[in-house]
Amino acid sequence: MASYDALRHLTIGQYIPTGSLIHRLDPRAKLVALACLIAASVVASKYSNALLLLLLTIMLVKLSRLSLRSMLASLAPVMPVLLIMASLQLLFYGGVTRSGGPNRLLVDWGPLHISTASVRVIIITWARFATLFLLITLLTSTTTASALTRGLEGVLRPLNIIRVPGHEIAMVGAIALRFLPILGEQLEAILQAQASRGVSETRQSRWRFLANTRRMAQMVVPLFVDAYHRAEELILAMQARCYHGGRGRTYLVVSTPHVSDYLTVLVGVSLVALAGVLQYSILP
Amino acid sequence: MSEEIVSVQGLHHTYLPGTPLATIALCGTDLLVRRGEIAALIGPSGAGKSTLVHFLNGLLRPGARGQVIVFDQDTGAPECDLTALRQRVGLVFQYPHQQLFERYVGDDVAYGPRQLGLAREEVRERVRWAMDVAGLDFESFVDRHTFSLSGGEMRRAALAGVLAMRPELLVLDEATTGLDPRGRSEVHALLHHLREKAGMTILIVSNDMDEVAEQADQVTVLHEGRTVLAGEVHKVFAQRELLHRYGVVCPVAADIIYDLGERGLPVASGAITVAEAGEAIWQAMML
Repeated sequence: MASYDALRHLTIGQYIPTGSLIHRLDPRAKLVALACLIAASVVASKYSNALLLLLLTIMLVKLSRLSLRSMLASLAPVMPVLLIMASLQLLFYGGVTRSGGPNRLLVDWGPLHISTASVRVIIITWARFATLFLLITLLTSTTTASALTRGLEGVLRPLNIIRVPGHEIAMVGAIALRFLPILGEQLEAILQAQASRGVSETRQSRWRFLANTRRMAQMVVPLFVDAYHRAEELILAMQARCYHGGRGRTYLVVSTPHVSDYLTVLVGVSLVALAGVLQYSILP
Repeated sequence: MSEEIVSVQGLHHTYLPGTPLATIALCGTDLLVRRGEIAALIGPSGAGKSTLVHFLNGLLRPGARGQVIVFDQDTGAPECDLTALRQRVGLVFQYPHQQLFERYVGDDVAYGPRQLGLAREEVRERVRWAMDVAGLDFESFVDRHTFSLSGGEMRRAALAGVLAMRPELLVLDEATTGLDPRGRSEVHALLHHLREKAGMTILIVSNDMDEVAEQADQVTVLHEGRTVLAGEVHKVFAQRELLHRYGVVCPVAADIIYDLGERGLPVASGAITVAEAGEAIWQAMML
């Protein structure tokens, strides 16, 4: 960490306007399609459908004119965890069957079994993780917080009948998302202040788990204190502006869905169907 | 001319280069600070003051364009020892609660000296000194919970934490913003004390022109990431029109003198502090 603007690369939760087709879609359509894609990705546990979904997601990122590279760059901090998980899976997942068939044993060495099934588990887990991460990042970077709130509220509206407070749930979600980049900046400020007081940075590494965990407390405590301060101020500001929840509230922007929005939902639903079909097909 | 301990030349800096969120913070900034002076950095919000300050102890390091030399070390050079540099340059940030992280005030102030690997007694001595200088009574505050302090006390604790490192250059990034007038004048007294007694050089970043006029010897004006004016504080504040164009107002005392002059009172121009303005008006009345 030579210089301290690295945390600003934390792209999740940050709206990045590029004016693409995806940016212009109705937030409700985006949310429904996203839910479909996530469902499809969770269902998919074969090479064919998992990789197909990853490929489609990457195409969506391209379509949104956002930088795939900077999105993936913000995954770097979790790489150690992913790698350790993968190596554990590789060594200990083993295979259910020791016979041939779809699950062949590649290495059989004492208690360690490496089989085609364990390799598949790793690749699919990684593909699924990347897909989910990209999808969420795509949603938050192409949708403003207020559009997201509106969208979520719209999607939850049918549940009003059974007294689910759609508006409040949407607001909580939106605030949480909005806080992510703020917390990132706060953390950066805290790290800067600590570095100024002599925290050595030459000895820092992502791989020094124990030392990093100890350091974590020194970062998390001021971060929480600050977050609580902000939350209290937000409550006051909302009360000062007479916020009273969703009842009787009117909206500045009333969105009417276009053909492209219906198409988005249609594509989302058909992708779930496709992933489901592939799951039971003869493809690997 | 005395020794230059900070020399920034033609510095450029862009946050998040190569992304849609790229913002140019500095484009051609110069800054000179000489040993033993109280220097001030002023300019409207977004002029790049805080960004520039982050370069002074190596939190940010210059890229291809520009040079930052602090205590004869080029911070852009890969072999620059940042840990050593940060002991000599103490940075106090605007928000104190972001700078405190230990559970007890004493531990927090002791954090820097402990990182230096000093002996127990030496650490205790430094903590006592720093807390006293910053205006926190050692006995009654050393075992207080850090986050139970009031805003003003937190600010003092943050200052003490930096002072305990015994820096040679103390940089205060809007460290008096939000203090009450009394707290502010205590900080001002403290600055002079540190300069006279501890031989520190001080750089303040401020939006309060009265404070700058009263405290600083030299002033540097930033505007949209560029250094537009620099020099002795009276000379800089004499350039009313230019400052106005760069979104900087003059100290109240200077405004009054200017206004009186416009109305025909034969006051000598050039006063920027309350004492100087009082003297100028007195002289004009005596004529």
